[in-house]
Amino acid sequence: MSASLFAAKRSVTLNAPSVMAERVTFEQLLWVTACLGLALLASMSTLPLWIVAVVGMVAGIRLVLAARGSDAPPRAIRLIIAAVAIGLLFLQFHTFNGLSAGSALLSLIAGLKVLETRTRRDLYVVPMIIYFLCLAAILQSESFWLLAYLVGVCWLTTAALMRVSRVSRVGEWRGSVRHAGRILAQALPLALALWLFFPRLGSPLWQTPNAANQATSGLSDTMSPGDITDLGLSDDIAFRVHFNGDPPPRTERYYRGPVLHDFDGHTWSRTDAGALAAPPLVFKGKPYQYTVSLEPNQHSWLFALDWPSQWDAASDVLTNDYMLMQATPVSTPTDIVATSYTHSEAAQPITIGMRQRDTRLSRNHNPRTLELAAKMRSEHSDDLDYIHAVLDMFHEQPFYYTLNSPRLADDSVDGFLFDTKRGYCGHYASAFAVLMRAAGIPTRVVTGYQGGTYNRFANYWILRQSDAHAWDEVWIEGSGWLRIDPTGSIAAERVEAGLNDLATQGAADTSRWEQRSTWFKDVRLRLDALRVMWRDRILRFSQTSQEKLLARMHIPEPDGQKVALVLAACLILAMVWLTWQVRRDLTPRTRDPVSRAYERLCRRLAAIGLPRSPYEGAEAYAARVAAARPDLAATVGALCRRYSQLRYANTPTDSAAASFISGVRAFRPAKSAGK
Amino acid sequence: MRQAAVTRLSSWSQRRHGIDSLPISVVRRRIYIVPSRFGVALGLLLMAMLLAGLNYNSNLGLAFGFLMTSLVLVAMHHCHRNLLGLTLDVTPDVDAIAGETAGFDFILRNDSLAERSDIEIRCGDGVVTQSVPPVGYQPVELNLAVERRGILRLPRIELRTRQPFGWFRAWTYVHHPLTAYVAPRPVGDHALPSAAAAAMGASHSDTRGDEDFAGLRAYEAGVPLKHMAWKVLARGGEPAVRSYTGLAGQPEWLDWSSLDRLDPEARLSQLCRWVLDSEAAQRSYGLRLPGVEIAPSRGPQHRTACLRALAEYPQSEAP
Repeated sequence: MSASLFAAKRSVTLNAPSVMAERVTFEQLLWVTACLGLALLASMSTLPLWIVAVVGMVAGIRLVLAARGSDAPPRAIRLIIAAVAIGLLFLQFHTFNGLSAGSALLSLIAGLKVLETRTRRDLYVVPMIIYFLCLAAILQSESFWLLAYLVGVCWLTTAALMRVSRVSRVGEWRGSVRHAGRILAQALPLALALWLFFPRLGSPLWQTPNAANQATSGLSDTMSPGDITDLGLSDDIAFRVHFNGDPPPRTERYYRGPVLHDFDGHTWSRTDAGALAAPPLVFKGKPYQYTVSLEPNQHSWLFALDWPSQWDAASDVLTNDYMLMQATPVSTPTDIVATSYTHSEAAQPITIGMRQRDTRLSRNHNPRTLELAAKMRSEHSDDLDYIHAVLDMFHEQPFYYTLNSPRLADDSVDGFLFDTKRGYCGHYASAFAVLMRAAGIPTRVVTGYQGGTYNRFANYWILRQSDAHAWDEVWIEGSGWLRIDPTGSIAAERVEAGLNDLATQGAADTSRWEQRSTWFKDVRLRLDALRVMWRDRILRFSQTSQEKLLARMHIPEPDGQKVALVLAACLILAMVWLTWQVRRDLTPRTRDPVSRAYERLCRRLAAIGLPRSPYEGAEAYAARVAAARPDLAATVGALCRRYSQLRYANTPTDSAAASFISGVRAFRPAKSAGK
Repeated sequence: MRQAAVTRLSSWSQRRHGIDSLPISVVRRRIYIVPSRFGVALGLLLMAMLLAGLNYNSNLGLAFGFLMTSLVLVAMHHCHRNLLGLTLDVTPDVDAIAGETAGFDFILRNDSLAERSDIEIRCGDGVVTQSVPPVGYQPVELNLAVERRGILRLPRIELRTRQPFGWFRAWTYVHHPLTAYVAPRPVGDHALPSAAAAAMGASHSDTRGDEDFAGLRAYEAGVPLKHMAWKVLARGGEPAVRSYTGLAGQPEWLDWSSLDRLDPEARLSQLCRWVLDSEAAQRSYGLRLPGVEIAPSRGPQHRTACLRALAEYPQSEAP
C-alpha cells in the first residue's frame, strides 16, 4: 500500500514551475544557432570579421557542450569572454551607437546569449536579435535578393521560435516551417497595406551617419595613363540615361565628367578653380532633354551630356569648365533631369587665367614630345592644320589601341609616342593634349563616358564603367572649345580587343556585351530593366508616389491626410480578411464527397421533419424513417445501405460512391406521404 | 498586486458570464489576450525598427519592419484562435486522500481542422499542458497535491495558451467549481474494533475466522473476483459469491465514539486507516460519525461514501 502511494506521488506533474525554465535541447540550440549564422552571413560585409569568428566560436563551443549533454560553461568563463569581446568592440568602434557598431554589439550579445543558454527562456532572446540584425542588414542595402534572403531567414527563425516555445511534443521540422510560412503569408497583405500607405518622413528625425565603407567607384579626378589600371574592364553600371525623344547620334553622346587641367609629366589632375561661373555659351542645334540616373559613386560631380544648358536641381552648379557639380557626394541613387545641346560656341573670348591654366606645360618632362611638337608646329602654323596633322599621325603611324598597355616611366608621353605606341583613350588624350599645349593651343583633358548600350525593353541607355572615356577640348580662336577625340583616329585594324565601340564608331551600336550571344544580352537587359523598376517603384517610393497612387484610385486632390485615411481603410480590410482567414479553420469542412452527400440526405430528411439524432447510425436512421414514412422506405433504405457499404466495406469503389452521390442528389422527399 | 488584479479580473469575468455548465465551448467574448513580456520587448524592438526604417528613408527597411509588425498581429490572431471554439469537459467532483493527489480528468475537444497547440489547464496551483489534435480530443489529467483534509473547492478553471510564438498570452476562465473531497491521512495504530474485541477473548477463538466458508449468496456488483463461485457459473447457474463467516456475518463498525481518547483529526485519520484496511481485507464495514451513520457494506462505492463522509466532517476550530 505504502509503495503504491509513493509511486502515485512520483508520477504527479504538479505545480510545474514554468515550462520556459525547462532545459534547452541540442536540437533547439542547433536551429537557433543556424538561424543566427544565416543572419550574420547577410551582414558579413559590414561586420568586422573577428566578430563573426567570435560568435561562431562561442556558438560552436555551446553546441559541442550540448551535444555531449553538458550545460553552459561556468559563469566566470562566460563573463571573461563577454568582457574581452565587448572591450575589443569598443576599442574598434569607440562607440556602440550607429548601425555598424550597434549590429556588431548585437551580434556579440546573440553569440554570448547562445553560450550561456540553459533554459528555453534564454534562447528566446536570440530570435529577436536575429530580427534586428536582418533589419540592420537591409538598411545598408538596396538589393532585392538580400531582402528575399532575409525574409527567408526570418521565416526559418520564426519556425525555430515556434519549436522552442512549444511545450508539448513537437512534430517534424517540415511541419513547423510550413506552419510558420502560413503565418508569414497571412501577414503579407497587412504588411503591404502598411508599406503602401504609411506616411513617410520628409526629412530624417536625426542625421544618419554616412556609410563610410562604401567604396568609391568609377572615374576619379586624376588620370595616369602610364600606370596599369583596370579601366574599362568593369561592367558595373555608372548611370542610366533616358531621353525624352530621340537620342543624339552615337558620335555625339559624350557625358562630361571631371575636366583635368594640370599635368606633371605623368599624371593629369584637377585643382579646383573655385566658384567661378561658367562662361556663357551660344547653343546650336537641337536640344536634348534627358534624365541621368546616377548610381552612387561618392563623388560630387554629375555626368551631363555635353553641353548642359538647363538642369532641375537648383543646388547643382556648373563650373567654369562646364562640369555639373553637386554640393555633396553622390551616396544614393540620384536623378538629374537636364537639357543639353551637342554643339555650342563660346560667347566670350577665353580669359587670361584660363588660357594660362590650359597651356601650362613643364619643360622638364617629355623632351622628345616637345621636340616633335616644335617640328610639326613649324610646318603647320594654323591651329586647325596642326590639329589635323597630329590626328593624322595617330592614324598613319602604327599606333595600337589596347587595354593592356605596358607600364610607362615618368615621361609617360615620350614613352607612349616613341616607344610603345600602345595604349587606351587616356594615353591618346594625354599625348594629344601635351602636343597641343607645346604648340601654345589651350587644351584640357575631359574624362567621362561615351556611347552606352540601349535597353530596348525599357527605353534607356546603360553606361557601364567599361564605357568610361577620355578626350580633349582645344580652344579655337573665334569659335570656342572644340571637342577632339584622338582615340577615334586610330586605324580600325590596329584596335585590339577591349575597346567597345571606337573601332566601329558611327556604325552600329555595338559593345562588348553585344558581341556575346543575343539571348544572353537580352536576359541582361531585361534584368537591368527590372532593376531599374525595382529602384524607381520600390526603393524610391515616397509620399509623392503615395499621392500618385491615390490619384490612380480616383481619389480627388490626394494629400497626406487622405493617404492616412486610405491606410486606415486598408488596415481594417486587412484585419477583417485576417480574422476570416485565421478562423476559417475553426468550422470543420467535410472534404469527403460521400460524407457531404450523406449530410445532404440528412438535411433533406430533417426538412420534412425527420432529423437524424446524433447517436443514430445510417441503418437505424433508415429504419426510423421507414417507420414514419413508408413511401420513402425503399429509397432511403437503399441509400443508407449504400452509405454504410461505402463507409465500412473493405473496398468501396468510385462508381459506388458516384451512384450514391447522384442518388442523394435526385432524392427530393415530399413534405407528406401524400396518398 | 498582480495577484489582486487577477482575482479582480476573474471575479469580474464571473459576474459577466455566471456559473458555466459543462461541457463548455470557449466563445470569443470570454477570451482575454495580452502580450507576454517577450511580446512587449518585441513591440519595442519593432518600434525601433520602424523608426530606423523611417529615418534612413529605407523602403526596404520599412517593408521588413512592417512585415514583422504584421507577423506579430497575425500571431495575436492565432493565439486567440488557439482557444476559440475549444470545448472543455471535466469530472467536477473527485475524491482524494490528504498527502496524495486529487486527479481531475479533463477532456479537451477540438472540432476544428487546426491543431490546438499547448493548451494549459490551470486550476488552483496546478498546471498541465497538452496539445489537442485537429478534429479530435485530448484527455488531460491534472493532479493537484492535497495536504489537508476537507473539501477543496476550486472556483474556476483557467485555459491558457502562449502559442504560436510566446509573444501573447490568451486565456479564459471557466466558472465551474471543482470539488475534491479530501479524506484525512490514513494514520493510526489502533486495532480494529473487532480485533480489539477478539483480543479481549469474547468471541471467536479462531483467528482465521474470515476464511470460514459459510455458503453461497447472490452476486452483487463490486465483489472481488477471488470470491466468485466460478464453478457455479461454469455449471450454468446464476453468478454466485462464496461467503465467509468473517465477512458477511459480523460487520465491522468503525465508530467515532470508540476513539474518544484522540483529538478529532486523529480520530478521523484512524477511521480512514480502518476504512482502507477493512476494504483491503474484503470485510464488511459500517461507519459511525456524530450525526452520520453509513450502514455496513463494502466495495468501491461504499469506500468512497465512507471516505467522503470523513472528508466532509466539519473542521474543528483550529487552535
